[in-house]
Amino acid sequence: MKKRWRWPLAGFVLGAVVGATVLTVNVVGARSPEPVAVRAGFGEILHTPVLLARAREPVELSYDLVCGAPKDALGSHCTPSGSVFVRPVGSSTFSKLRLEREPDGLLTAVVPAGQAAKGFDYYVVMDNGRGQTASLPEAGAEAPQHVWPLEEWTTVDIGAASFGQARSPTSVLRGLSWGRGDRAIGLDSGREQSRVGPSAFDVAPDGSVVLLDQVNRRLVLLRPGSGPAHVPVQFSGGEGDLAVDAAGRIHVLDSATRPLVRTFTTDGSPIAAVPLAEATADMIRIGPSGPLVHAYPSEMWLPTGPGRPPFGPERQLGSAEPARRADGGFGVVVRASPAAVKLALVRGERVVSAWLLHSASSFGEVQLAEPYGDGMLVVVRLWNEKHAEFRVLRLGPKRLIQRFDVTPAEWAESASLSRFRLQGSTLYQLRSDPSGIEIARFEIGGTK
Amino acid sequence: MRRGLATGLLAGLVLGLLVVGTPASAYHTRFQWGCNDTYFNHDPVTRANARDYAFVAAAEGYQWAGGCWNGNNVDDSPGDPVEDPNTLGEGGDCSGFTFKSWWERAETGDPWFRYHAWMQNVHGPYAAADFKYGTGAPNTTVAKANTVYMDAFASTYHIGMIYWANTAYNQDRIIEAKCEACGTGTWPRTYRGNPDYSGARRLYWAG
Repeated sequence: MKKRWRWPLAGFVLGAVVGATVLTVNVVGARSPEPVAVRAGFGEILHTPVLLARAREPVELSYDLVCGAPKDALGSHCTPSGSVFVRPVGSSTFSKLRLEREPDGLLTAVVPAGQAAKGFDYYVVMDNGRGQTASLPEAGAEAPQHVWPLEEWTTVDIGAASFGQARSPTSVLRGLSWGRGDRAIGLDSGREQSRVGPSAFDVAPDGSVVLLDQVNRRLVLLRPGSGPAHVPVQFSGGEGDLAVDAAGRIHVLDSATRPLVRTFTTDGSPIAAVPLAEATADMIRIGPSGPLVHAYPSEMWLPTGPGRPPFGPERQLGSAEPARRADGGFGVVVRASPAAVKLALVRGERVVSAWLLHSASSFGEVQLAEPYGDGMLVVVRLWNEKHAEFRVLRLGPKRLIQRFDVTPAEWAESASLSRFRLQGSTLYQLRSDPSGIEIARFEIGGTK
Repeated sequence: MRRGLATGLLAGLVLGLLVVGTPASAYHTRFQWGCNDTYFNHDPVTRANARDYAFVAAAEGYQWAGGCWNGNNVDDSPGDPVEDPNTLGEGGDCSGFTFKSWWERAETGDPWFRYHAWMQNVHGPYAAADFKYGTGAPNTTVAKANTVYMDAFASTYHIGMIYWANTAYNQDRIIEAKCEACGTGTWPRTYRGNPDYSGARRLYWAG
């Protein structure tokens, strides 16, 4: 080899090795997720908590079980059994009620009226018939479900749906088109795919709107009088939720395979991240002592704590509560069905105010239920097979004070209960259409 | 000497990036290479059997036009480019996942049942819109108000099956293959009240 080629050749070999190594390490590293086992072979207990029941009547508790499958082969359906443990208010001990199988396959137990009179705590322990047991809520007696007895309530007939007669917004904050640019927001869609837009938004104490643009892995900050600001954030899942606390910290529920709560400073710097104790979650809200996450299958509110480090999964389960803690010492309780919506403000085991909503139309989901003045502000969907609308209800202690309808404007999907936020006396709505999104504002009036 | 070394280093670096980078940019897990074609016809099963079967896919991946998963509760091929079946990742898409979970047969005129192994790589003949309109002998439409678990809500672009109806906030927990970044799972949804979605049902359940 000629001497003049020696150094270039050495450099060539060294460069090739370095380039190949860097790429290989990065690609393999990026594509090797840490295995996270989120379910053992037990399966999952299914139950919708009763939460609110008429006083002096027996209360039926109903359960089902989805069986985990041990291997990729045809297996028999498991044969679950179990018992509910019930502790009436005023009692210190739980008593056992065996679950009975109903003709429809559900497992039920009936709490006698005497035990339910002042309300009761309960949890279930189920065996899947394969020698595996589990409880729901997972912490059992340490953090059980609760049923509040309704001695008296205000019945409100909210009327039938009136599709197409929605109120116009008081103002529209800003529009963003679909895309990745500075004045755009991400849309995950395509042929034969769901249309997922920004999952959630919230309103910061200074009036800024913070959007979770999870498709582009960033937060979008809309500040009055300035253009959109973007902050890249770590986000693993496809959807999530977001809440801003009184200090301006941004708490993001990342619905990854195992959900996480990530906390960021006002400018988007990461503060903390903590895994959630349960496998599914849909809402994050700010309580008096930090973020609260509504999780499944328990439907309990899991606190992640006011400071650093956040509460780990065990502490979340041990301090979970069936009511969402809100300002003023109230707990907010919601139990809705297609035929009726029950709402209550509670203090501990006592019901302060309760409402029972009826309509000639089918109820959909309760999008928002917040204490408002001496009552509540509620947003609930009304629907039939072809149409839908949101009805906004301002409830006083004994009557319906105000109502108006809002068009759904849900061309793109957001997190299921993150389309509305209330700040002061202003209701905010995240709206989407084929061109992009906007934030609509509705002035409610009255005193928050 | 120094100039020669730098020139060689630069050329080598470019070559290294090109040689490894070209296949790396098209890197896939090739999950489907480990899948199979195991299936057999079966007597009608119950909705509960079908839900148990579908539950195995929860926490697995999503693959557009895909169809196999291994039940380890991990998305083994995250972040593939969407709308590309050649990424060969883990999981079904929404309609393929429904087809397998409803124990349907590939022959659209045959309404009876077929067990598909989790790892069988099959999508089936139906798109979401086919389920929405009740296309195929096993499928029909149903009013959303009359749906029960393991019925589905289908639009022209997505379908998800009812895993558990009526949560406290009156949503439905839906089991669905949602999107590449979402994977497959059970999430509370509001499809029931969304006019884009219709009720869809598999016929002939054993109970």
